[in-house]
Amino acid sequence: MKKTMTALTLAAVLAFSGHAFAHSPLMSCFDNGDNTVTCEGGFSDGSSASGVKIHVLDASGKSLVETKMNEDSEVTFDKPAGDYKVVFDGGEGHSVEINGADIVE
Amino acid sequence: MTGEKTVLVALAGQPNCGKSTVFNLLTGARQHVANYPGVTVEKKTGSFAIDDIRVELVDLPGTYSLTSYSLEERVARDFLINDMPSVVIDVADGSNLKRNLYLTLQLMEMEAPVILNLNMMDVVERRGQRIDVDRLRDMLGIPVVPTKAKKGEGKAALRVAVKELAGKRPGPAAYKIDYGPLEPHIDVLAGAIAEDPLVSVQYPVRWIAVKLLENDDRAADMVKGAHTDADQALALAESCRLRFTEETGNAPERHIAFARHAACARIAAETVTLPAAKKRSLSDLADRYVCHRFFGPLILLVILMALYQVAIVFGNWLALQAWPIWGAVEDFSADVLPAAGFTSDPLLRALGLWVVKSTTAILNYLPIFFLLFSLIAILEDSGYMPRMAFILDRLFRRFGLHGQSTLPMILGGVYVGGCAIPGVMATKAIPDERARLATIMIVPMMNCLAKVPLYLILIGAYFADVGGLAMFFIATVTLFMALPVAKVLTLTVLKRHPSAPFIMEMPPYHLPTIMGILRRAFERIWLFLKKIVTVVAAVAVVVFVLINYPGLPDDRRVHYDGMENAAIKGFMADVARTEFVGRITRADVLPIILFEESLKRAKRGVTDQEESSAINARFQADNPVYYAVVKREGKDGKKLNKSLKKVVRTRKKARREARAERFEASFLGSMGRALEPVTQWAGFNWRINIALLSAFAAKENSAATLGSIYGLDGDQSVQESMKAGESGFTPLHALALMLFMALYPPCVPTSIMVRHQADSTGWMLFSIAYQTLLGLLVASLVFTGGRLLGLTGLQAMWAFYGLCVATTLIMALIPNPEEREAAASVSPEPCNEHCS
Repeated sequence: MKKTMTALTLAAVLAFSGHAFAHSPLMSCFDNGDNTVTCEGGFSDGSSASGVKIHVLDASGKSLVETKMNEDSEVTFDKPAGDYKVVFDGGEGHSVEINGADIVE
Repeated sequence: MTGEKTVLVALAGQPNCGKSTVFNLLTGARQHVANYPGVTVEKKTGSFAIDDIRVELVDLPGTYSLTSYSLEERVARDFLINDMPSVVIDVADGSNLKRNLYLTLQLMEMEAPVILNLNMMDVVERRGQRIDVDRLRDMLGIPVVPTKAKKGEGKAALRVAVKELAGKRPGPAAYKIDYGPLEPHIDVLAGAIAEDPLVSVQYPVRWIAVKLLENDDRAADMVKGAHTDADQALALAESCRLRFTEETGNAPERHIAFARHAACARIAAETVTLPAAKKRSLSDLADRYVCHRFFGPLILLVILMALYQVAIVFGNWLALQAWPIWGAVEDFSADVLPAAGFTSDPLLRALGLWVVKSTTAILNYLPIFFLLFSLIAILEDSGYMPRMAFILDRLFRRFGLHGQSTLPMILGGVYVGGCAIPGVMATKAIPDERARLATIMIVPMMNCLAKVPLYLILIGAYFADVGGLAMFFIATVTLFMALPVAKVLTLTVLKRHPSAPFIMEMPPYHLPTIMGILRRAFERIWLFLKKIVTVVAAVAVVVFVLINYPGLPDDRRVHYDGMENAAIKGFMADVARTEFVGRITRADVLPIILFEESLKRAKRGVTDQEESSAINARFQADNPVYYAVVKREGKDGKKLNKSLKKVVRTRKKARREARAERFEASFLGSMGRALEPVTQWAGFNWRINIALLSAFAAKENSAATLGSIYGLDGDQSVQESMKAGESGFTPLHALALMLFMALYPPCVPTSIMVRHQADSTGWMLFSIAYQTLLGLLVASLVFTGGRLLGLTGLQAMWAFYGLCVATTLIMALIPNPEEREAAASVSPEPCNEHCS
């Protein structure tokens, strides 16, 4: 019995490293046409994404903007000149990336 | 009198005997799936014609036996008794005749008109076995029809046999199991029962006598329902049982089971010729490893890990890919429902969107469920499930659970990340009623995915430096709480429920077919949708009322109207300074905002500039003035757009604040306040109470609600504002909250599933009540106890962990109710043949 118990505990620890959550993270971005980009975040179950970290990275992966979703689950930043991508960083298994080229006016 | 005759035929058989294939062979796979009345067991029916006879074929649940221990067995038995089919086709796996005869003999004992269908004769031949069909027919005195349903052979013979038997009047069975020393008792009891005109007409007398001696609850109920002097008959049965136990030192139910096994073995020995060189079959060979003391658990672990990876990790990814479908449903309803207001929306819109959102939140999990159901079907069809049960049964039985409790617990989230709904659903397979109920009661205590966000918030805020350890604590402590709880329930409220000895034979391994798996998965998904989604929609309406009414007081409404007016006034002042003066009026302001939102919805997910331009053009054609403001056309458009943004910000602020106020003033909010005197011992204030109450609607709400009532600032995360907003909230508070959340009652959809599976509203209410009380008790113990002892959050955490582990170990040593009388009766004998 003890052996099985140990095995179960071990399973818990192992599985833990890859835990994921049931609600899916969501983000959509829009080019405002005034050299700013607005992204709206949220979760599939309707939870707010307030306070979720947002990184804007350039082509080489260098961070351009570090910010957070505001109380309305939105974030607006200046549109970078070159290629870029926006990362919604909701923790492991909870991230979304949107490529700058896919953000259209 | 020309009309065709209709005959009711039942299809019985043990799991994995190829029953579905025979069903499809006879009906041409045309089937109708429903439930047996009042229970969640699927009832598959189909029909076909033999000459002028119309046959209604009913597929009984696959069962090893016909006791009343499991729901499936009860359903099958009740159908045979109440619906009295004209013919029962007993499908048997010819290559495992001895085991399959166990059901055949019980069917015959019920005096059902049985045809023994020796299926899978191709496997018999492949294994070099020979079955003497004529000898079998003579011994049993019933028609015996060999088939190879998988290859479509034997259909004609089976139809002929059905037609012949359907025309005959059933007579007493030719073969009787010899119960040896129990026979005199059976005769006495049967004699007494036969004297009663009611029972002896309704039920086979010998069968009732055997069942009473077997201490079968349902048989006792039947006698009570029909016998004129039931008490006397039952008293007689009881005295016979006692006397037999005294005479032989053996419980009658055990003796009966052994007598049946012995009869099966005798018949099989006379009719089956095994190949000369007695080789172990491939199944038995595989079982040497699968049921091995050391490799068994290891293989189990690997399979469970794979299950978790595919269903939960891959399933989550799949759910994300499928989201645009549900997002489109949400967008569509947002477009067609009545337009939004400035601060508050029309009732129809608010309620409509709420219901749609609640439903899509569940539909989002559909890919996960589909994968789960497919994987379960593979485990079942391959024959691994009973092995899994065998490996874990010894451990689980100590806690009043069953080997087959494993799967429900895994699905519920033994390791972090499951969902209680499929977990409770999976309890259906447990053949032991008491263990099944105990499992239903503890599955919601597992760590379902939805509890994780709250854990993360609290750990992030209060145990950040020991985050990994804290997560390990909450991930594993739930099991050490659930096992003792299962044991306590078994020793108390569940004591009177029947428990089945673990007699589970190992069916041979099968290679599952893709079609079979998909069909099963789709059938279950469909059942799930029908049951859960409709109920969720209904419950959403109730929750909507609870969190929105009685609504804002008048003075607050005036306050928000003022905010609206000021914002619009500012905007109109800007309009007056542009060329839009006269073209945009006060009444246009809200429509412009909605126009912008609608444009955004239309472009969500669009990544192609041309496609986006086409959408822009459509909106521009629709209303060029609004478009100019929203898309910053021209100098004045740019100017007004800036002003519009201010109005939008004010609107969002007003909506957010009004929502929070409405929520605090709502019925649910009032309940949260009213509960504060009780919950203070657990360290919860009314705001936390509100969050917990809303979590009952769906666990995900807890994090969202905590977020919304802690009034988040843009620069602060939920953790930070919680820390700041709740001065005096210590790690001890957080620990109590986490533990309460772990034990907290199942969310509404799970509760509904509990009702379905336990088949009783009482059990659902019990499950909600005991978990709430237990949660409150544990949280109070940890919080108040920890404070009195002056423990830190971390110390309290490990002190509690130690307590739980110790309780689990002690509980494991307390014998179960029936263990005293039958210490040696849990006989794994049938399994021993395969598992060495």
